Amino acid sequence: MAETFPINIWINEERFKALQQAGLAGLLKEELAGMKVMIVPCTEPQRDKVLKLFPMAKYDAATTKSIELLPKQVKDKLYELAVKRKTLSVMDEFIKAVEKG
Amino acid sequence: MKLIGHGGKPLVERVIADKAEARKKIKGMKEVPANRQMATEAIGIAYGFFSPIQGFMKKADVDATCKKMELADGTVWSIPIVYDISDKEIADYGIKAGSTVLLTCEGNPLAIFEIEEIFTYNKEKMAEAVYGTKEEKHPGVARTYAYKDKFLGGKITLVNEPKVREPFTPYFLTPRQHRAKFAEKKWKRIVAHQTRNVPHSGHEWLMKHAYIAAHGDMPVEQMESMGKAISGVLVNCIVGEKRAGDYIDEAIVLTQDELRKSGYFREDIHMVTMTFWDMRYAGPRESVHHSIIRTNLGLTHHMFGRDHAGVGTYYHSYQAHHLLMSIPKEKLNITPIYVLEWAYCPHCGEVTCIGLCGHWKELQKFSGTKIRSIIMDEVKPTRLIFRPEVFDVVMDSAKKYGFGSPFVTKEYLAKAAPAFRIDPL
Repeated sequence: MAETFPINIWINEERFKALQQAGLAGLLKEELAGMKVMIVPCTEPQRDKVLKLFPMAKYDAATTKSIELLPKQVKDKLYELAVKRKTLSVMDEFIKAVEKG
Repeated sequence: MKLIGHGGKPLVERVIADKAEARKKIKGMKEVPANRQMATEAIGIAYGFFSPIQGFMKKADVDATCKKMELADGTVWSIPIVYDISDKEIADYGIKAGSTVLLTCEGNPLAIFEIEEIFTYNKEKMAEAVYGTKEEKHPGVARTYAYKDKFLGGKITLVNEPKVREPFTPYFLTPRQHRAKFAEKKWKRIVAHQTRNVPHSGHEWLMKHAYIAAHGDMPVEQMESMGKAISGVLVNCIVGEKRAGDYIDEAIVLTQDELRKSGYFREDIHMVTMTFWDMRYAGPRESVHHSIIRTNLGLTHHMFGRDHAGVGTYYHSYQAHHLLMSIPKEKLNITPIYVLEWAYCPHCGEVTCIGLCGHWKELQKFSGTKIRSIIMDEVKPTRLIFRPEVFDVVMDSAKKYGFGSPFVTKEYLAKAAPAFRIDPL
């Protein structure tokens, strides 16, 4: 399988309930003592674009191998898009929307 | 009473506490403004955090530090403490070897600097020796390359003590004050937890592990009564230059203290203080420097975990341990306690040491980055991995001190008041 460079969106109780009701809880994984996380995969070119669009973010190559330090508002938009499309494969659409402004 | 510091040498204390005497001493002295980095180091030198050095290092000490990891007299030393200056400043202020000047900070008197030597040093060689790399993206290397072209070496005497602002005021103690606190608490063994982090349960268990290891063969009966502990954990937070994305210092200090206030550590075995030091991220060499500082604070043990003071992928996980192990015991008067990671095991349903748990494939490792990500998403973590009281203090610190964020932002860097200021004398 090709290497991915994911973005982790951590899910609170409220969102978890909403996702369960919408039948989308399958989009989540459990980590760290039962915390729910939505792991949005990125390809290498998508990762590079995200880091360019959001310079405050960084790719943590040392520990998590994921894109970190994205502001909450950015992750909120990504979360909303994944829920709307009912899939985690939303990075192309997300990047296009950000580039369009 | 004469206190003994690193290298078995007297603890350095070069401070004129009497203001009238200080004013008299500095009268007519040429003033040289020190930037924040240099002011921080001058304060560290004068209070003895860096004993036995008495001032900014001269070339022989810098050279021995780089090449042999010791001072010119053979005392173990790992990071050069240097005062950089440009040729223009040397000319403008008429600085010469043998002259004595008054360093100022924010326009106010700070310290007397007896300049014994003006010298140059190859910055690339210095960086490579200390950091093991010449890459400028390493923050310590970048700091070294940013030094101006000349260095001044000579003794420092503080004439105007820093005013530490809230909420840090009760946490700043000099080495002498640390030792007085330990004596008051009747602690015989004290283990340092070096931190620049808000604590998750993994950190908490590292401290508990280190505490038990440090207490070792000491009696335990008296600990059945609260207030009778004879060993302690000192959480010594490093407060200094920050990078965007770091936790704000206020959140670090206050959350560490919250662990005791909320009872995760007993009142009589845990204490939080802070030390002014700009992290160099020198990994193994910085672990030696931290040992030196904590020896000077009067500690008997020092905990070292995975990738101590490292950055990126420059050092392997336990490289700091290996360097410390290579130093003869009599040369570093503090006992290192090497600790493995603690992780959450869903099978055991608890936080456990990765060296103890047999459910190796199921372990969910703590990652500082992951915890930051959870906090950034404003999701309250489960109490097994992050204490709820600590989370509340993080969020409260963000509101009170971080302009809405518990992490260093451009706004924080631009607007937050420095941890200490120097008032008119």
